[in-house]
Amino acid sequence: MAREFSRRSFIKGMTAAGVVLAVGGCMSWDGKNIPEKVKTGDVTYDVLIIGSGGAGMRAALAAMENKDLKVAVMTKLMPTRSASTMAQGGMNGVTGVTDPADSVESHVFDTVKGADYLCDQDAVEYFAERAGKNIFEMDYMGYPYNRQADGSFHQRKMGGSSHARAAYFEDRAGHAMVHTLYEQCLAHDVDFISDCQMLEISMSGEKNDQLNGVIALDMRSGNLIGIAAKTIIIATGGYGRVYWVRTSNPYSSTGDGIVAGMKIGIPFKDPEMVQFHPTGLSVNGVLLSESSRAEGALLINKNGERFMSKYAPQKMELATRDIVARAIATEIEQGRGLGEGIHAGVYLDFTKIPKERIQERLGQVADLSKRFAGVDITEKPVMIAPTCHYSMGGLEMADFHTGASRVPGVFVAGECSCVSIHGANRLGANSLSEVLVFGHTAGDGASSYAKNHPYVGDQKKLMADCSKWADSFDEVTTRPHMGNRTVPEIRDDMVNTMWFKCGVFREGKQLEEARRELAKLRQDYDKCYVGDSTRVYNTAYEQYIELGNLLQISQAIVEGAIARKESRGAHTRRDFPKRDDVNFMKHTLISPEGDHYKIEYKDVVVTKYPPKERKY
Amino acid sequence: MDVTLHIQRQVEGRKWYQDYTVPVTTGMTVLEALIYVKEHLDPTLSFTCSCRSSICGACAVRVNGNAELSCEVLVETLTQRYQTERLTIRPLGNFKVIRDLVVDWDPKAARIKKIKPALDPKPEFTPETGCKQTPEEFNRYKKYAGCILCGSCVSECNKNTLNQKDFLDPFAFVKAEQLTADTREKDPKERLKAVLDAGLWRCFNCQECTAKCPKHLDPAGAIEKLKEATFKYGLADNVGAKHAKAIYDDISESGMLDESKLNIRSEGLFLSALRAPMALRLMNVGKMNPMDSHPVNPEIKTIQAIVKTAEKEG
Repeated sequence: MAREFSRRSFIKGMTAAGVVLAVGGCMSWDGKNIPEKVKTGDVTYDVLIIGSGGAGMRAALAAMENKDLKVAVMTKLMPTRSASTMAQGGMNGVTGVTDPADSVESHVFDTVKGADYLCDQDAVEYFAERAGKNIFEMDYMGYPYNRQADGSFHQRKMGGSSHARAAYFEDRAGHAMVHTLYEQCLAHDVDFISDCQMLEISMSGEKNDQLNGVIALDMRSGNLIGIAAKTIIIATGGYGRVYWVRTSNPYSSTGDGIVAGMKIGIPFKDPEMVQFHPTGLSVNGVLLSESSRAEGALLINKNGERFMSKYAPQKMELATRDIVARAIATEIEQGRGLGEGIHAGVYLDFTKIPKERIQERLGQVADLSKRFAGVDITEKPVMIAPTCHYSMGGLEMADFHTGASRVPGVFVAGECSCVSIHGANRLGANSLSEVLVFGHTAGDGASSYAKNHPYVGDQKKLMADCSKWADSFDEVTTRPHMGNRTVPEIRDDMVNTMWFKCGVFREGKQLEEARRELAKLRQDYDKCYVGDSTRVYNTAYEQYIELGNLLQISQAIVEGAIARKESRGAHTRRDFPKRDDVNFMKHTLISPEGDHYKIEYKDVVVTKYPPKERKY
Repeated sequence: MDVTLHIQRQVEGRKWYQDYTVPVTTGMTVLEALIYVKEHLDPTLSFTCSCRSSICGACAVRVNGNAELSCEVLVETLTQRYQTERLTIRPLGNFKVIRDLVVDWDPKAARIKKIKPALDPKPEFTPETGCKQTPEEFNRYKKYAGCILCGSCVSECNKNTLNQKDFLDPFAFVKAEQLTADTREKDPKERLKAVLDAGLWRCFNCQECTAKCPKHLDPAGAIEKLKEATFKYGLADNVGAKHAKAIYDDISESGMLDESKLNIRSEGLFLSALRAPMALRLMNVGKMNPMDSHPVNPEIKTIQAIVKTAEKEG
């Protein structure tokens, strides 16, 4: 069952149960973004997937294999607008096609080493065994792979991989994946519930472990809807937007699913592990591809020095992402950068590269630099700085064989989850494979759970939760401006705190400051000004919800970063510059507890590869 | 430089235009200007966006009557192009507007389903072993795989503006051509039948879609390729194909169109007969004389050579 719930018709003073009966289907609602049966309350989904990126759609296709099940994919935009679309490089998987010498063993080792040993090696083995199969399967679904002479897809070698194992479409591997999956979903008549912002996962029962369903805001009508579901798969993507302009992620990467998951008791695993890419445009964080440096672009500071000679004299600009990102951040911090504040950067200089080569191989880089920074890279250097690229942390996946979280009926997949296979640093082209492998796994896991379990939720509670949000919408959107800060003002403060106190470099004292500042921002947020009280497509309210999620994610990152007193992978503590395998070969697990966050730890699973120094 | 954005607003049944003045900085895109308005001037302005690097397709709007990907185009480019510091911003055309610049994509998804939008691979291929095709075969369709579903192509599509019911959005034809040209596909003919039923021959050939596509995919060209494919697969028994064939025959035989017979050969005797009143009117004003013998263009040799060369170029 599912019901729409209109705020306007909410008659205060009635009992919750009475309200449920009173409001069913009384709002005008002509959009087709929601299946009719959801509006009339005639459906309890067996598998409800939140998020329509690669993981969400792959999960839907897997779950749909059982024809008896009712499956739907909910998204806050429409299915092809996700972060997966932006992935450029490819998807890793051992197939033996381009490089017969490649092996699952090698993929496992590269991933473990790349992760700086903070991944669960049994999960990595599971992943690497299946990644290749998914590449063949996508071929059969219609993925437009670039081909090699023998007619097979071609695979290329990505950073940190010892073999050519990433299959791809041009420099738009993610875009092609998302559209191929979308086509399959259309062909299989998957129910899409689009333009719906998830607000909460509704639970009931004495231990609060029985899933009722999901509460969402239908952006089209402004109605709050409660959708009953036996199982859900959270596949809502990462949280790069905590760094706002200093991220390559889309505006929609706001960690919505992670916050909803934390609230029902799924720990946020390794939140402090955030990957920074060294070369984002200073002006807006948009990524300039890794190939810039591969083709010979130089990094230059304010004084005209090629500063990489101080940090990686052998490899210079070609050192790994984390090393280059730290070098750039150091230059800026020590006053050898250009520009101010969040837009400070150093030069990336292409002028030594022949013009023809730039045109031939760096077309997109030239185009982005020209468009956003107004710089012709064949004539002048362009200003860049590190940009947040990927969230290794996420909701704890309790069983990687099924995608299940520790809450019964709730599954997780994709960037919002932490399996963990990326550990402290993700390798290029492992993320698209991850969404395919674990999207598939979670889809299978949820469908088999749904087949073998009855619906145990409480629909009255579902509707009560719905009405609670309806009230909240009214209160939040009608707040006066006077004396209250706006959503963008609070967000900008959050970003300054996160970028300067919990960014590429971290230090105990600054992290403590960040903790205090975020707590203060949470207070500001509780009475902030939204400025739009209309019902239809209220993006101001949606941004308010997203900011609330980003603030909670930020707090978790800071808590994780304070507690992890070592430097590992993407997490760099100035006060603890060494990796500490004695105390920190373990995952951070963060859960909200009242006003603060509780930290627990879980040992990293090591099967074959005990930690060694990570050198490239 | 201050630029005025003259924005079409529409909220819960009310519709109006509102002006906002935005201080434009170097590299400021139309999307950033819209975000500036929302954050500094009016939180109620609504629009959608996601990737801000021209790959997700969420942010297309109409500026001065032309569809643009707002995250991609600079305000400065447009003020120079139109020689003005006042830009009119409206939602995409040929979409239902939900609010302000937000449009309804759901009917589009339903329409795209008509062309069987997923690959149905040949029987020799399997999910376990994948498929095979040569790099040349891949090159034939790869351009069309770059569609980002931004809707720019349909915004100014004249055929869609006239009537959406018997035609599709240009992006649907792009997808159809991608799959038709893909050698992994088992039965392109089945899809082509669906594409014909969905109105393939009703395209006006106005090229608005090709002019507006931010990815330069040439949807109008895709429509032409699909038409060619219908001949190849023996699906030419329809008015559009016969019309094209009649023009081709006339030009290659005489170098001139025989308009008095064109209609009969396209629509058949019976349907043409229904157009008799128009034929009489044309005869009356001397535009058509059925008694004239069809002349032959004196340059017929050159024309035939051109036709041959064009056929060879394919």
